[in-house]
Amino acid sequence: MCLAIPSKIVAVDGDTAVIDVDGVRREASLMLVEDVCVGDYVIVHAGYAISRLDADAAEESLELMRQVFT
Amino acid sequence: MTETRTIKISPITRIEGHASIAIELDDAGNVADSKVHFQSIRGFEKFVEGKPAEELPRIVNRICGICPWHHHLAANKAVDRCFGVTPPPAGQKLRELIQTIAQAEDKLLHFFFLAAADFVIGPDADYAVRNVIGVAKANPDLAKKVVQMRYKAKMMIEKFAGKAIHPVAAVTGGFAKAMTEEDRKWMLEGMREIYDFARFTIDFAKKDIFPKYMDAIASLGVINTGFIGTVDSAGALNLYDGKIRLMKADGSYTDFDVQDYTDYLGEHVPSWSYGKFPYAKSWNEGFSLDLDNPKGIYRSNTLARINVADHMATPAAQAELEEFRQLFGRPAQATLLYHYARLIEEVYACEHAIEMLEDPEITDPNVRAEAEPKAGRGVGCVEAPRGTLIHDYSTDDNGLITRANMIVGTTHNLGPINMSVDQAARSLIKEGHVDEGILNKVEMAVRAYDP
Repeated sequence: MCLAIPSKIVAVDGDTAVIDVDGVRREASLMLVEDVCVGDYVIVHAGYAISRLDADAAEESLELMRQVFT
Repeated sequence: MTETRTIKISPITRIEGHASIAIELDDAGNVADSKVHFQSIRGFEKFVEGKPAEELPRIVNRICGICPWHHHLAANKAVDRCFGVTPPPAGQKLRELIQTIAQAEDKLLHFFFLAAADFVIGPDADYAVRNVIGVAKANPDLAKKVVQMRYKAKMMIEKFAGKAIHPVAAVTGGFAKAMTEEDRKWMLEGMREIYDFARFTIDFAKKDIFPKYMDAIASLGVINTGFIGTVDSAGALNLYDGKIRLMKADGSYTDFDVQDYTDYLGEHVPSWSYGKFPYAKSWNEGFSLDLDNPKGIYRSNTLARINVADHMATPAAQAELEEFRQLFGRPAQATLLYHYARLIEEVYACEHAIEMLEDPEITDPNVRAEAEPKAGRGVGCVEAPRGTLIHDYSTDDNGLITRANMIVGTTHNLGPINMSVDQAARSLIKEGHVDEGILNKVEMAVRAYDP
C-alpha cells in the first residue's frame, strides 16, 4: 500500500539522496523535488522523492505511524 | 528427492508500499505457485476509533502520500453523511475540482516515471538504465517537460487549497474557502496547458509506444475478471461521485448505492496474508484466484473505470474511448492496457477540470453548510487513482467514531495482482530458467496496476 512514510535525507549526491526511515537507509531520486538538502523530510514513492515535508508535519506523521503499526 | 526453490523479488522496484513477490518453483523448475504480499492498513481502522469524526479527514490523508486528497475527500463525504449535512453546490465543485487536478497530476507521474521506463527503455534493458534517468537521457526535453507539468499541477493545488501533501481544505459540510475570480483565471490557464500536454502524451503513446508492445499487451499478466468503477446517472465515468457499477467478465453489470456496498462486496482474508481481499459477494460464487476459473474476482483502477463506463462525459476523452473500444472491445481484459486507459482518463481529467473552471458557479462564496456532531453512519466514496476508495464510519451521539472500515483502491486489485503475477510467472519461467528480463516482466504485470 502507498503509505506516506516521511523519510529523512541523510546524504545528497547530485540528483540522488540517501534517505533514512527509522534506521533503514535507501536511495531515492530527487528529480521531482526542488531545493531539498540534508536534514529535510520527503515522501518517497517508488524510489522518487515526490514531496517535501516540513519537520513538524513529518514528526506528526511518524508518530501516527508508530501508533498505528506497532 | 523433491527439491523446490523460491524466487523472491523484494521490494518491487517502482511500486510503492512494502510489496514483495514470492515465486515457488517445483522440482522441474516450473512455477508451482506465486504470491504477492502487501502491507495492510488494518491498524488504521482501530486507531481512529474514539476520535472526533471531523478530525478523520485530516488523519486519514496520511495513509497515502500519493493520493492524500482522495482519502481526505472520501473521509469528508463519510463524515457529512454521519452528521446528515449536504455541502452547497460550490463546496462540492471545489472538492471535485481539486480531486480532478490531483488525478491529472498522479497519472502523469505514473505514466512517465513509474511505467514509461519499461516501454521507452524496454523490459530487457539492464536495471541500471531502466529507470527515469534512462528515460531522461533517451529524451531529455520530454523528461524536463513532464517534471514541469507535474510541478504545475501540484503547485496549482497547493496555491489554491493549501498543503498538497496533507490536505485540510475540505471540511465537514463543504470547503474551507471560496474561489476568487483571480484564482479561477490562473488555474484555468494552467489547466489548459496541462490539457495540451495530456493530448500530446496520448498521441505520443499511441504512435511511438503501444504499437511496439502489442505482443506483450496481448499476453503479459492477462487474466479474465470483472470490474468496478463509478458512473454518473447517464452511465458516464465519474471520479468524484455517482453510483458504483460492478461488471462481470461477460460485460453484464449491476449498479448500486455505495451506502449498500456490504451487500455487494465481501472481504476475504486468505490464510497466507494479513490483507483483506475484497470480492464480489453478490455474485454468490465465493472467492478463488484460480487462473482458469476465478471466483468473485473483479478489478479497479483505470482500465476498470474505462470498462464499466458507457461513455466519457467530455468530447476528446470520448473520442479516445471509442478508438480504444474498436481495438480492444468492452470489457478489455489485457492487463497492460491499464496504461492506455490511464492516458484516456488523463485527457478526461484535464477536460473536466477546465469545464469546472469555466462554470461561473465555482466562485460562489457559499461553500460550506453548518454541521453538528451526532450519531450516524456514513459511507464516503471517490475514485482514487488506484480505484474505488471507500471510507465507512459510524459515530456516537458526540460525533466520536465507534467503527471504521476502509477499502483502499489498491486492495480491490490484490486478488487480480496475484493472478496476473502467477499468469506471467507461469508463462515466462520454464525449467528453472530465470533472468533479470523475465523478473522485470513479472514486475511489469504488477506495475500496470500502479499498486
